Amino acid sequence: MKDLIRIKDLSVRFHTYEGIVHAIDDLELDIRQGETLGIVGETGSGKTMTALTILRLIPYPGKIESGSIIFLDTDRRREFDLLKLSEDKMRAIRGNKISMVFQEPGAALNPVYTIGDQISEVYLLHRRNELGHRAKQRVDNLLSDGGGPVASVKRPFWRWQRRLYNKISQESNPFEPRFLSHLPLFRRLLWRLKNEANLLAVDMLKDVEIPDAARVAIHYPHELSGGMKQRAVIAMALACSPDLLIADEPTTSLDVTIQAQMLELFRRIKTDRGASVLFITHNLGVASEVCDRVSVMYAGRNCEVASVKELFLHPSHPYTKALFDAVPMPGKELQTIPGELADPLNPPPGCRFHPRCPNAMPVCQQEKPKLKEISKDHMVTCHLF
Amino acid sequence: MELRSYIIRRLLLLIPVLFGVTMFIFGISMLFSPIERATLYISDPRQMAHLPEIIEMYGLDRPFFVQYGTWLGRVFSGNLGWSVVVGMPVFDAIWHFLPATLELAIFAAPVIIFTGIFFGSTAAAHKDRPLDHGTRVMAIVGWSLPTFWLGLILIMVFYGYFRGLLPPGRLGTPMDMVVNSAEFIRYTHINTIDALLNLNGPVLLDALRHLILPVTTLAVVQVAFIMRLMRSSMLESLGKGYILTARAKGLAERVVVNKHARRNALIPVITVSGYLLAGLANGVVITETIFTYKGIGWWAWQSAINMDIASVLGFALFNAVLFVLVNLVVDILYTRVDPRVRLGGTVQ
Amino acid sequence: MTDWKFTVRQIAKNPLSVVGIIILMFFVVIAIFAPLIAPTPEGHLNPYMIPREGYSATPQPPSEEHIFGTTEGEYDIFYGVIWGTRSAFQVGLVVIGIVVTIGIILGSLAGYFGGVIDEVIMRITDIFLAFPALILAMAIVAVIGPSLRSVMIALTIVSWPSYARLIRGDILQVREEDYIEASRGIGASSGRIIIRHVLPNAIYPTLIMASLDIGAIVLSAAALSFLGLGAPEGYADWGQLTSFARNWIVGPYQNPLKYWYAVTIPGLFILFFVLGWNLLGDAFRDIFDPKLARR
Repeated sequence: MKDLIRIKDLSVRFHTYEGIVHAIDDLELDIRQGETLGIVGETGSGKTMTALTILRLIPYPGKIESGSIIFLDTDRRREFDLLKLSEDKMRAIRGNKISMVFQEPGAALNPVYTIGDQISEVYLLHRRNELGHRAKQRVDNLLSDGGGPVASVKRPFWRWQRRLYNKISQESNPFEPRFLSHLPLFRRLLWRLKNEANLLAVDMLKDVEIPDAARVAIHYPHELSGGMKQRAVIAMALACSPDLLIADEPTTSLDVTIQAQMLELFRRIKTDRGASVLFITHNLGVASEVCDRVSVMYAGRNCEVASVKELFLHPSHPYTKALFDAVPMPGKELQTIPGELADPLNPPPGCRFHPRCPNAMPVCQQEKPKLKEISKDHMVTCHLF
Repeated sequence: MELRSYIIRRLLLLIPVLFGVTMFIFGISMLFSPIERATLYISDPRQMAHLPEIIEMYGLDRPFFVQYGTWLGRVFSGNLGWSVVVGMPVFDAIWHFLPATLELAIFAAPVIIFTGIFFGSTAAAHKDRPLDHGTRVMAIVGWSLPTFWLGLILIMVFYGYFRGLLPPGRLGTPMDMVVNSAEFIRYTHINTIDALLNLNGPVLLDALRHLILPVTTLAVVQVAFIMRLMRSSMLESLGKGYILTARAKGLAERVVVNKHARRNALIPVITVSGYLLAGLANGVVITETIFTYKGIGWWAWQSAINMDIASVLGFALFNAVLFVLVNLVVDILYTRVDPRVRLGGTVQ
Repeated sequence: MTDWKFTVRQIAKNPLSVVGIIILMFFVVIAIFAPLIAPTPEGHLNPYMIPREGYSATPQPPSEEHIFGTTEGEYDIFYGVIWGTRSAFQVGLVVIGIVVTIGIILGSLAGYFGGVIDEVIMRITDIFLAFPALILAMAIVAVIGPSLRSVMIALTIVSWPSYARLIRGDILQVREEDYIEASRGIGASSGRIIIRHVLPNAIYPTLIMASLDIGAIVLSAAALSFLGLGAPEGYADWGQLTSFARNWIVGPYQNPLKYWYAVTIPGLFILFFVLGWNLLGDAFRDIFDPKLARR
């Protein structure tokens, strides 16, 4: 099967007052269809930035200096480079084919809108045709039932609505509904769209196992607990059945017990929907629970990527090995990684890890290593191999 | 339910504050001699000759609390004294001059609010670019302008230099005659509204023409304030996490800013609206004076100049009550606008 | 206090604040050297009363003798605005000084001791804050009788509540911090704690507000003088000078801007004075707020 996402030679730099920050540095990474790929690394390793780059949401003053992110659009069986897309086309992908869940669910939700509103917003944006179609069907039912005391008065309005919804279900940006939506009274004609979107939103909330979904939907974010908020955010991200769900430290801010439930939810996403998940975390344990493959990042580069089992059994890159060694174990002396994190403003030449690497060789200072396959499906970026 | 009890609670708190306010005002008036204070108790100029009897009758030389009690009683029955400067009871004077000021306020408030919000949002959207710096300078200069000086300059230019383009006062003489004639029905005494209700175009236009300068003068200082506040509020809102989420959903930037950011940014601006009204009350006195616009501000100034104590105190009292009520309304509005400030509790 | 060096550098980086400081220094120089710039004529008793050339009711345009012209009543405008600078500083600094002091004292009492004292002081501030400032000031001045002193008294009465509230709020915040507990633990008395620990931290927002407020105070004082409720006629006060121009805003038909100097010049002095303080206050706010966040 073809890869869903192929990142090659990606470099993202921030041009700040103090200098140029190398956030992502010649990154090479693949995400396969239907897999859960974990990205593990310390703060500042570039994990979040990778996610933002895929969605092209890098904040100013960041710039994508080079590289390509090839995305496979499974519906249309086409591939294109996400970095070369126009903003319009990119917006059609965000929230639709690729969506993202952030670390702090409380901060991710807008406090002045209800949960249901925020989820239905996604449907209204990306699934207008579908909503129009459903709305039209409901009006059709009304028209055929014909009942109701004031039906004769309402009929012309129903017919008008039917025409509008029909247009919405078929065309991509029909004039008449768009025009009417700007006029205060006539806007009411389109209320069924919102209604259908709300119904779909409630369904989605049920899907992520939120109890009493209909009631939750009309509540505001601050009225929910942390775990519920995170589920709501996940519901928002899964609304349009994306091909790729990016989750940036989704369990970090939650209680351990809720964490377990959340990981179960992620496992289900993979099996039920067949979506790929890019799971970003700094916790090796969490990664092992939920991911198929894991990539270890350091200073904006991909150090090693392998299946979970393979990585845990045969960590090959010196950094990966050091990470595993650093995990505290009873009876073992606490190991740390010597040296300091690579300065993003002035990274060490050649391999970024060489100042702290116990196996450093002269070539490590001169050349940046490339990603090499050292055994079946196990790739490392190191001069040792 | 929750809302009703909140309102009742606030209104109850209003009472001690009003007591304090009236006591303070009365306390000021105690600094006057009994003769001057007697003017608070008359409602007819002919009674002026009987001042010694009035002093006797109302015990104006009796101790403070006795006098306060009787004064309070009179206030509750609507008798605020006699306004020497306009020759009518203070209570009537307030009702007589209020429509003019209301007219100013009705036009000034939306201008201030919408202009301030608009410029503030734009400045935030173009942060650190020329437009932002430009509005910032405009805001600081506007905030430093003496209102009365601005009014004078505006008159100098638009009435003097442009030969009467935008004149002071409420209405020109011919329109004034129309408005006071029998055919013109006075519903509200607010010229623009009455003109609309009477379907009288020329009066409406004339009234609007006279309104432009006073409204501008009133607005400039306040707009500067709101503009700055809106800008910083927008910037704070745009830095929040939900903005990134909104973008990640694929929403167009315009929708992100207008729907998600602005709604949150407006919250602090609304709370400040109470202060805005106070600023209006201040500005109204000066503005009406300069433009000879006969509203309560103008009346207050005349009273202050002529040491017409009854009027000044009546005006201050009216203002205090109005202010407290407006703050209450703003606070309630705030609870409607920010869902977090309502019934709380978690859903399990 | 090596913070000061940092502060000064920050001020220098911000062009608007530099402009503000320059403006203010300009005014300070004028105020100090007023007797040299606009010398009081011989035999004139009160230097703050503007000397009159004559009694002509019409304003005279700028000439060699009267650089900025004269107002209605032939008061020299140049003299008026120069000595008016002194009045402006007087009013602004005195009022702010007293207001901040009262505010600190009452705010500290309310904030630190809480309870009944707090409630009482807060209710009193509520009452004062229930009045729009200018109107209360007007009422007070009307009662005491118009003069520059009554304007200062009125403005003081009207302004102190905001400061008391501000200080109280800051103290409430700081009071909860751990180092206060620690101080109490080693036996420091309440007064000592307030003065040495609480106040220095609460001082920054007060500084910001005070510098912004001097401009507002001078504006209000000018407004009151303009309305005839402040300085007496002929006193060297900017608002007072502007009020002279009221009848002369629009000149004769052929030359409507004839008397521009009577209106424009005093007003410009007010504008720039207030602008200088506002720029400074704004700069302070930009500098101190992020610092506060860092603490």
